[in-house]
Amino acid sequence: MVARTIPSHANIRLLAKKNLGDLLEVLGRWGTVYAPVEKQPDVYTFAETTDLSAIALGYLRTALPPKRFMYPPEERLYNFTLSKGFEEPPQSEDRQILFGVHPCDIHAFSILDLVFAGPYPEPRYFKRRRRTAIIGLDCLPDVNCFCYSMDTDSVERGFDLFLTDIGEDYFVRVGSSWGEEVVRACKDLFTGLKEGSIEEYKRRADARSRMFESHVEMSDMPQIMELEFSNPLWEELGEKCLSCGSCSIVCPTCYCYDIIDQFDLKGDSGSRTRRWDSCLFKEFAQVAGFNFRQDRSTRVKLRYYHKQIAFVEEYGRSSCVGCGRCIETCPAKINIIEVLNEIRGKKVMSHAG
Amino acid sequence: MSKPRVGIFGLTSCAGDQLAILNCEDELLDIIGAVDLKSFVMAQSDNEEKEFDVAFVEGAVVTEENEEKLREVREKSAILVAIGTCACWGGIPASANGIERVELYRQVYDTEEDYFKCGRTVLPLKEIVRVDLSVPGCPIEKDQIIAAVGSLLHGVSPVLPTYAVCTECRFKENRCLLVKDDLLCCGPITLAGCGARCPSHGLPCKGCRGPVEEPNAASEFDILKEKGYTRHDLEKAFRTFAYSIEIPERA
Repeated sequence: MVARTIPSHANIRLLAKKNLGDLLEVLGRWGTVYAPVEKQPDVYTFAETTDLSAIALGYLRTALPPKRFMYPPEERLYNFTLSKGFEEPPQSEDRQILFGVHPCDIHAFSILDLVFAGPYPEPRYFKRRRRTAIIGLDCLPDVNCFCYSMDTDSVERGFDLFLTDIGEDYFVRVGSSWGEEVVRACKDLFTGLKEGSIEEYKRRADARSRMFESHVEMSDMPQIMELEFSNPLWEELGEKCLSCGSCSIVCPTCYCYDIIDQFDLKGDSGSRTRRWDSCLFKEFAQVAGFNFRQDRSTRVKLRYYHKQIAFVEEYGRSSCVGCGRCIETCPAKINIIEVLNEIRGKKVMSHAG
Repeated sequence: MSKPRVGIFGLTSCAGDQLAILNCEDELLDIIGAVDLKSFVMAQSDNEEKEFDVAFVEGAVVTEENEEKLREVREKSAILVAIGTCACWGGIPASANGIERVELYRQVYDTEEDYFKCGRTVLPLKEIVRVDLSVPGCPIEKDQIIAAVGSLLHGVSPVLPTYAVCTECRFKENRCLLVKDDLLCCGPITLAGCGARCPSHGLPCKGCRGPVEEPNAASEFDILKEKGYTRHDLEKAFRTFAYSIEIPERA
């Protein structure tokens, strides 16, 4: 039998786990590093740090998705005065690195890119996007994760570096020229593949895909949802929904916003602010003298129909990435996995069973 | 353009909303400079009570005298703004509604006499006169009263939050006290605008800003029932600041 040589892959390296702290230190010299930390028990957020001991490498999901680094919850767009007209407040030029982004959230950025790219490109979003590096990190699912069903459990693009835990090392995929520069600049930290690292990578990928407990069959979902427009389930969900908007605020792909103009006390000036909006809010569909989604059930239904039908029609895929945040967050326990399965006439299936 | 004539009045409450206006220290001179302050008993003497372009009224209607004063102010004012949860929803004074009044006189004043002529049902302003704008809060938020004055100067209504405290709590990435800690939190049915101040400090929302436009109290009740709370617990919590919230029975 011919001994297998270790192939050299230009875009793959190994990073010994003991070198991760040094890598963070190097990244910190390039820009501000934001990494997952446990801010309260079982609540994770991307916070500024390069301190490896503070980083929750095994975190499940952050409370807010990382979209807030490109698209803040609230942002002043303009100041206006009678004499000078509109003036845009200066935007930071600082480089930022999001460290430890999971595949679902990386996919979510690709989805937001589609939305903000056209037909009226959103310059603020892309300005931030361009000064942001993304270091991905693999993860293990809990019962609320259904990225496997949404085809977002792994990721091939949208990152600069992507780290997968394979034991003593991280299997590092290089996804951009910037990522390649980092690897070249830190020659001492990275090595080529070792004996068995490919096998270990594949073994772990297989094991991970078997860990998903929750599944949704997404095949033909837009058509099936169209057929279930009058399903009494929507009314039931309307009874439960609190219209609190939590599901959309924690969603990594929701992008709706409201515009608020505020005059100041001087009488000749004011500001225009953009704030995340939610289709669950009653005012969302309020137009002059009429609200075309008066009932909560129609608003809950819209959220599902936009994610699973309208978005697919416009962009070719669902805008849900299966991150499970809305499930974890909803006080009324509305669970998208159960809703989609019920619409299909199925109970939640267990992959492991 | 002449400055709008403004009056600031208090009915029955703790006067905390009027005080919140005075607490706008950095902006106070701008506010005073932008309006012609005709009446503000708490802050100035020589008040003149003829006509007002805008009247801000704090407090609930507890006495006959309160009602007379409110009607008088309404009569004299083009725009009437209810400030504070007492004025908007009845607030704490209205938590007396539904309790035998004589019993309260005995407990509080040690007499059975209606000494202060407060035997009536306590009501928010909108139950008695037309209210053009409501700025709830216990007390009102500084930035909202400034936004309200700024907008009214331009002849428009301010854009104040209409969503629930949960929204602001999620913005802050707080640990959910209702979902994760099973605490009786009124956040899902309470109007935002406070920046989820209490939950941000680990305290459940008490509902002090009054309810959102369509509070789904039935669903909140279902959620809390599952956690072991009784209908009485919820009514007590929901109605501390807004006596009129009903928890509908599920069919």
